[in-house]
Amino acid sequence: MSGFIHILGFIVFPYIALTIFVLGHAWRYITDWKRWNAASSQFLHKDSLKGGITIFHWGALLTLLGHAGGMLIPQRIYDVFGVNAAAHNFMAHWAGLVAGLLMVPGVIWLLVRRVRQDRIAANTSVHDYVLLGMLLIVSGLGLYNVIFTHYDVLYSVAPWIRSIVVLAPNPALMAPVPVSYKLHILSAFLLLAYSPFTRLVHIWSAPVTYLYRSYVIFRKSPGAKGA
Amino acid sequence: MKIKTQMTMVLNLDKCLGCHTCSIPCKNVWTSRTGAEYMWLNNVETKPGIGYPKNWEDQGIYKGGWTAKNGKLSPAAGGRLQKLSRIFNNPDLPQIDAYYEPWDYDYGSLVTSPVKKHQPAIQPRSQITGQSMKIQWGPNWEDDLAGVCETGTADTNFSGLDAQQYLEFEQAFMFYLPRLCEHCINPACVASCPSGALYKRDEDGIVLVDQARCRGWRYCVSGCPYKKVYFNWKTGTSEKCIFCYPRTESGMTTLCSASCVGRIRYVGVILYDAERISRAASPADPKDIYPALVDMMLDPNDPKVIDEAEKQGISQGVLKAAQNSPTDKLMRKWPLALPLHPEYRTLPMVWYVPPLSPLQTGTENENPDEVLADMRIPIKYLANLLAAGDEAPVRRSLKYLMALRAYMRSLRLEKTPDKSILDQTGLDEKLDEAAILEIYDLLAIAKHKDRFVIPTAPAPDQADMRMTQGEKGFE
Repeated sequence: MSGFIHILGFIVFPYIALTIFVLGHAWRYITDWKRWNAASSQFLHKDSLKGGITIFHWGALLTLLGHAGGMLIPQRIYDVFGVNAAAHNFMAHWAGLVAGLLMVPGVIWLLVRRVRQDRIAANTSVHDYVLLGMLLIVSGLGLYNVIFTHYDVLYSVAPWIRSIVVLAPNPALMAPVPVSYKLHILSAFLLLAYSPFTRLVHIWSAPVTYLYRSYVIFRKSPGAKGA
Repeated sequence: MKIKTQMTMVLNLDKCLGCHTCSIPCKNVWTSRTGAEYMWLNNVETKPGIGYPKNWEDQGIYKGGWTAKNGKLSPAAGGRLQKLSRIFNNPDLPQIDAYYEPWDYDYGSLVTSPVKKHQPAIQPRSQITGQSMKIQWGPNWEDDLAGVCETGTADTNFSGLDAQQYLEFEQAFMFYLPRLCEHCINPACVASCPSGALYKRDEDGIVLVDQARCRGWRYCVSGCPYKKVYFNWKTGTSEKCIFCYPRTESGMTTLCSASCVGRIRYVGVILYDAERISRAASPADPKDIYPALVDMMLDPNDPKVIDEAEKQGISQGVLKAAQNSPTDKLMRKWPLALPLHPEYRTLPMVWYVPPLSPLQTGTENENPDEVLADMRIPIKYLANLLAAGDEAPVRRSLKYLMALRAYMRSLRLEKTPDKSILDQTGLDEKLDEAAILEIYDLLAIAKHKDRFVIPTAPAPDQADMRMTQGEKGFE
């Protein structure tokens, strides 16, 4: 890959994607609050959803946690806690395999259901298909990398991502990385940029407050006086 | 004592003629939109029957309402962690077919049809897929017992009775049950919502879905034991009855009650002590819930209550409305009305006066208990519906109604008021003639001004209205 395209792919594009990601969410939250939800289709067809949606979500949660833990936290911190690079790679490999084997069949399941169930198909937007297609590409490439390409990302991709996060991008770290990893990363950034315009926004409304709030909620109308 | 105000409704089933006039204005005004076609915030069911959605009373299927263990309440579908761990696929959610798949007809094809030997006919067409479909259920599918010979045995109100016997033609009975959101004091839908989008209005107890916070997790739908929160399949959020608050806030009554041609509906406010909520909802024996619920209500004419209400800032208008409230009289003072399925422990606030029914055989019997045994509708059935299986409150209500009829008959027809009726055994409290005439006026004459006593709400802050769009239940 020539130098210019490399810089375009691993400095310019990630920042454009992250900008769209942040501003896109703000724009969506302000202008389209009515549709800021999971857009569940369970109500229209229940039985066909259960297996697929469950493995997909647990796979996706494991994937998010794994990437956050493995990429954003430097290896030297793991070393402090006695997890050396080999052990880290071993864990990442098996966790990634489990996550990928849950998520990829999950996405395929949901995609097939969306096409084949008449009610769901009739209530599906282009965004839904594009989103599922992108999820399939990103997670499929991830699973491919786990199974077939045993490349050590701890001193290449991981520090590059941290360099992006701390606004000191170092694209040189990405130079020796295999193409399948590059494609996984680029498609993932594309997915990030696209996510504010899809049902993925419901991730940000994960209802953690439910764990500690009181069951029944009383609310006063603005302007109402007394009881 | 923490005094709160609650908007309530009482429906006199003795007079409901099952005309569905209540459902129509509600439908036209609130749910005639894409995604909401299948929603009937008010619908009228024929009992016995499994209703709309199918089997809504069977909490073995939908896990709605609360359970109480050792005096501690928790949602029947499971606690917080259990709900969140299954949030991707709510196992207790009904599918749209349990209500019905919405349909319309291609009316245009009737007009554009070429000349044929026979009149053109049109097929029902799904409003979801647009394809032709078979209509298989609806909000009043079992109207006048239609098909109940097949569905009736699944009616949970037959518990303790031989359902099959009452589905035979000679033994059949029926009455109408108009249903709407119960605006419960201990609402299970609110407790089920992971986002905290559902809430109970502090000032009048109306339960609303904040559309700006609803994320479509769907637990309110299964959590409500009355199945009166509906999932809009198009927008992905939940919607429910708003007790027509834009009308009640300006002193008008709800659309369902305003349009009732049988004049069976009463709307008013009650005062209750919020400190007694958990005690009322959590007795070990569900039969104790109804008495505790009545005990929770406060007498708005009691000087101590008036004093305390004024201290707690309850306005004179609300207090006056509570003192004249027809629902306070029917629920607490006399008490004729009973809550729908109190065993769900949500402390519902739409109550029903049980229906008297024709006698099975002609009787000259004067003993009210024996007359009750001769009624077509088994008392046990009504008890399962309105009193967690306890026959005593149902018997009491029906005896009041019978005494009312007998006394008014003696007064109006025989012209010799028979005071002995008022002293009949079996009534908890003896009624004096003035009370009988007041009940008669309210139930039989049922003037508009007596049926609906609704305090107005203070005008909302205009500047706030755009920013709070959606918070009060609809976009």
